[in-house]
Amino acid sequence: MSVPALNIVDLVKTYPTGVEALRGVSLEIPNGELFGLLGPNGAGKSTLIHCTTGLAQPSSGTIEIFGHDAIGDYAEARQAVGLAPQEPNLDWFLTVEETLDYHAGYFGMPKRERRERTTELLETFSLAEKRDERTRTLSGGMKRRLILARAVMHRPRLLILDEPTAGVDVELRLELWHYVQKINEEGTTILLTTHYLEEAEQLCSRIAFITGGEIVAEGSSQSVAESFGASSLEDAYLALVGRKELSRSHIGVEEEVEV
Amino acid sequence: MSGFSMTTGQIRFATLWRREVNRFMKIKKQTLGGPLLETFLYITVFGAALGSRIKQLHGIEYILFVIPGLIMMALATNAFTNNSSSILQQKFQGAIQDQLSSPASPAELLLALSLGGFVRGLMVATITFVVSVVLVGLPVDHVLVLIPALFLVGFFFSQLGVLIGVRAEQFDDVAFAQTFILQPLIFLGGVFYSASLLPQPWETLTRFNPIFYMISLVRYGFVGYSEISIPLALAALAFATAVLFAINLRLFSSGYKLRA
Repeated sequence: MSVPALNIVDLVKTYPTGVEALRGVSLEIPNGELFGLLGPNGAGKSTLIHCTTGLAQPSSGTIEIFGHDAIGDYAEARQAVGLAPQEPNLDWFLTVEETLDYHAGYFGMPKRERRERTTELLETFSLAEKRDERTRTLSGGMKRRLILARAVMHRPRLLILDEPTAGVDVELRLELWHYVQKINEEGTTILLTTHYLEEAEQLCSRIAFITGGEIVAEGSSQSVAESFGASSLEDAYLALVGRKELSRSHIGVEEEVEV
Repeated sequence: MSGFSMTTGQIRFATLWRREVNRFMKIKKQTLGGPLLETFLYITVFGAALGSRIKQLHGIEYILFVIPGLIMMALATNAFTNNSSSILQQKFQGAIQDQLSSPASPAELLLALSLGGFVRGLMVATITFVVSVVLVGLPVDHVLVLIPALFLVGFFFSQLGVLIGVRAEQFDDVAFAQTFILQPLIFLGGVFYSASLLPQPWETLTRFNPIFYMISLVRYGFVGYSEISIPLALAALAFATAVLFAINLRLFSSGYKLRA
């Protein structure tokens, strides 16, 4: 059996303020999977991602990325991960091209390869015309594209997308999902958090619900829904957050709702 | 350049460092032009104007007595300001996450962030030095003291800038350290005068100011005048720099204020 892309065991994170963001999370994502981590704001999704990528330090528990311990063997572990964070964290001093070039440099990619990969991704994400612009001049949608391009720049085997489509227009959302699906089919494992439940349902082979720093359900979207006695993932989610009265079956609304 | 290829570690470190240098080069009017103008204004006012009255201090032409102090001051403040500002800005933007989530080790990150300010300080100091040699014939009497002294002063203040930048939560914190601690210590450390000419208790108090020893070392390297033990001061400065580096490395390894 191949080594899982991500293997988290009993992960606990208590911030110095005393907030218990994660209370013993265990999660295994096999190589090649497109996995959705869903839950309300403040559930611990971003903390889990930050612990995995070295931006936060676990209080206890272990994280292994393709068999490499995220603390003890951090260089190998981080080399395998690409992160598109929820909040745009671009460097205002850098141009679009420099953003990609520097990122790849931090991951040790040689100059010629950096140049080729940058050109390829600028084309893929329709950023070629903006390559010499400073990042602070970009529109919100452009920043999102650049953040995703940066995350995949060093060809990570595990791509972590923390709400990558929050606040973007419909066509960009679909564009991003097409890209994500494509690289998943090519072999990249993907951990995704999103508030768009129907998208998670369509894209992800498995999902987990996290709330209050604990994973409360895990499996296919159908099995997770059934475990809450619901017919859809959205109804299961509403049961999770104790707001069943908002179910569309009660009000007869059919279109997608962002939660 | 066939036959030469960098390891992934070398590429990583070179990129981290390049980012720091690129940052200040992009705003060089502010980061190089401003400090150079400031230094030359000091030279003009204190050297040319005041020098016409004072003429000599301890047998050294006043302008030549002042310039080493100004070079040391330029090196120290630029190394400090660059690093504290760069780190705080990156923390504010969240951009530092890109480096923090890379495979870079704490030591690599610390050194790269330190060297940005170090290079900027050396650039301002070198330009001031070259212009001073051409215009007023600044000598270099003890190059074997001058080079380690400048290296240690630059590295010490680079480390201090990193420390303040990591600790700072707002720009006010950095400005406070610079305006209310660093600048007074530099000014009172004998940039413009000789401590031995001060009345008591100021002469004795000056000897408690660590920057007095740094200025004295650099001045000795250039013009050969000193009121202190040079080997002792060099050793103390090397020790202080090593301690500061060790503190920073410990903070970077523990993720202090960088990793939640």
